[in-house]
Amino acid sequence: MADRPPACGPCLGACDGKGLATFQGGLLANNPISVQILGVCSALAVTNKLSNALVMGAALIFVCVGTNLLVSLLRKVTPRRIRMIAEVAIIATFVILVDQLLQAFYWDMSKRLGAYVGLIITNCIVMGRAEAFAMRNRPLVSVLDGVANGLGYAAVLGLIGFVRELGGNGTILGYPVLAAGPDGWYVKNLLLVGAPGAFLALGFLIAIANAIKPPAEEEMRP
Amino acid sequence: MRRDIYTALYAAVLGTVCALLLTAASVQLKPYQQANRKAERVRNILGVLDVPFDKKAPWAELEGVYRRNVRIDGNGANELYNRIDPEGEVLSVGVPLSGRGRNGPIQGFLALAPDMRTIRGITFYEHEETPGLGGEIENEQFRKKFIGKRIAGEGRIGIRITRPGGAAGDGQVDGITGATMTCRRVERMLNDRIGVIVAEAGHGG
Amino acid sequence: MSDVSPLVILVAAIFTNNILLSSFLGMCSFLACSKQIPTALGLGAAVIFVTTCTTALNYAIYHGVLAPIGLTHLYFIVFIAVIAAFVQFVEMFVERFSPKLYYALGIFLPLITVNCAILGASLFMIIRQYNFLQSVGFGFGGGVGWALAIVLMAGLRRKMGYSSIPKPFRGVAVVMLITGVMAMAFAGFAGMMSIE
Repeated sequence: MADRPPACGPCLGACDGKGLATFQGGLLANNPISVQILGVCSALAVTNKLSNALVMGAALIFVCVGTNLLVSLLRKVTPRRIRMIAEVAIIATFVILVDQLLQAFYWDMSKRLGAYVGLIITNCIVMGRAEAFAMRNRPLVSVLDGVANGLGYAAVLGLIGFVRELGGNGTILGYPVLAAGPDGWYVKNLLLVGAPGAFLALGFLIAIANAIKPPAEEEMRP
Repeated sequence: MRRDIYTALYAAVLGTVCALLLTAASVQLKPYQQANRKAERVRNILGVLDVPFDKKAPWAELEGVYRRNVRIDGNGANELYNRIDPEGEVLSVGVPLSGRGRNGPIQGFLALAPDMRTIRGITFYEHEETPGLGGEIENEQFRKKFIGKRIAGEGRIGIRITRPGGAAGDGQVDGITGATMTCRRVERMLNDRIGVIVAEAGHGG
Repeated sequence: MSDVSPLVILVAAIFTNNILLSSFLGMCSFLACSKQIPTALGLGAAVIFVTTCTTALNYAIYHGVLAPIGLTHLYFIVFIAVIAAFVQFVEMFVERFSPKLYYALGIFLPLITVNCAILGASLFMIIRQYNFLQSVGFGFGGGVGWALAIVLMAGLRRKMGYSSIPKPFRGVAVVMLITGVMAMAFAGFAGMMSIE
């Protein structure tokens, strides 16, 4: 790491030289879901179809980036005592915005995601990044952090959505891949579509992530 | 003391700005959302009455198709959505359905032939059934099974949704694998409405 | 949904439509606080109390204030504010009257604010158009269902201390798998009882 040339030359000043590390951290090393186990609710609830998972991921990226930017811009003027409430207000604003936009321009999806769009407010990822990162860093690098964490989240959601839709329905984004139905050979695995399948899929995903990169010893104890 | 005032002021300004922003967004977006809501209902009515229309058509065009082909008859609670030809002759009759599913309310439409005896189509929207299981009531393959069934026959009133593969004869429809509960609810919702229709037909002669 | 008895909604929210096992709400604190039974019990009790009260409060605010003045689009922000304020109140109350519980729950009490089960209960209540009693029944049942799940999990995790789990599965992964099995078990209740 040390002898590597500055990773993001153009934004060096604005990123305090933390650009690449921030990005990798959010996307892989500290992936919000598989490593930090945050924001699990929606990861489970909306991933029975890949398209739902991707839209949810995009919504979270939007909220996370917007919140990080605003929180970071306001970090010097925000009174410490009410910073949490201020963060929640900003998050809620962006979430309502996303919800309204979905209702206006993507009606079907808005109905499928239902209450889970609103539940982005309580998604610990957004709050966590605002509190831990944006509160202490400059706007540009905070935006980067928001993008990275949002992408990391979206990637895991996409992966689970992919597995559950393929296994449960034999389709990818609605297109049949495995021949299911009366004439097909593939028997739909309905367990994967239901709630238990969500828990199992995420459980195995975390286990795989652990196998690739073992976490610290103390966290392993059940 | 000055810090308290600052904090209060900060909170007030932030709150006001957020609320104003959202209200502006909401006012701007409301027409689109209402159009979406209406369009969904209209699409379902047109779909169940088998009126040909472009699924991706914007609301304005959809509204035109709807106006030309559908006439609303009946009174408040008992609205009938009649598909009419240019002469005003009724081609099929749409009846709204509503009831409870396994996870939440279900809304739908039932289309009948003008004699009010034979099912021409059925559709469900606004439901919260489990995707892939109960949610399959949306699926065309399931909905097609109702077409041509008679709502009443020898000593029976209503349609029976059997276990998957168990349907035999008129008035029976195969259920969905893994969605017994949803099917039972749909059956009840449908038959409640059919009961009303048959009773009214009886009165009329 | 207008004619379902609140009692039925209550029982359904505990078993057949368990807020955690079928709606996936409140996973974060479920994973973090299910290591010991007493903590799980305390947090469960707090969640029951908070969900019941906040669904009632939010119902009153939504239908009494927001709907008449046409600001329903702000309901997310209002609900979360109500919940945050209410949790603050509970926190002060617990600190004053049961310091022991206060220390046991530690930092997790404020975390109830971001427990999606509580906001989720309020949002579902609006989406499913429950009336007041149904909302309270749903809030209470949802809270009890959540508490039941976390206490069961705490018991299972204690037993798990004695079993040898493959390395990659240790920690959250195995908890997630067990939750999956629990969800399957709870799905069995669907045949017994449902929103009739």
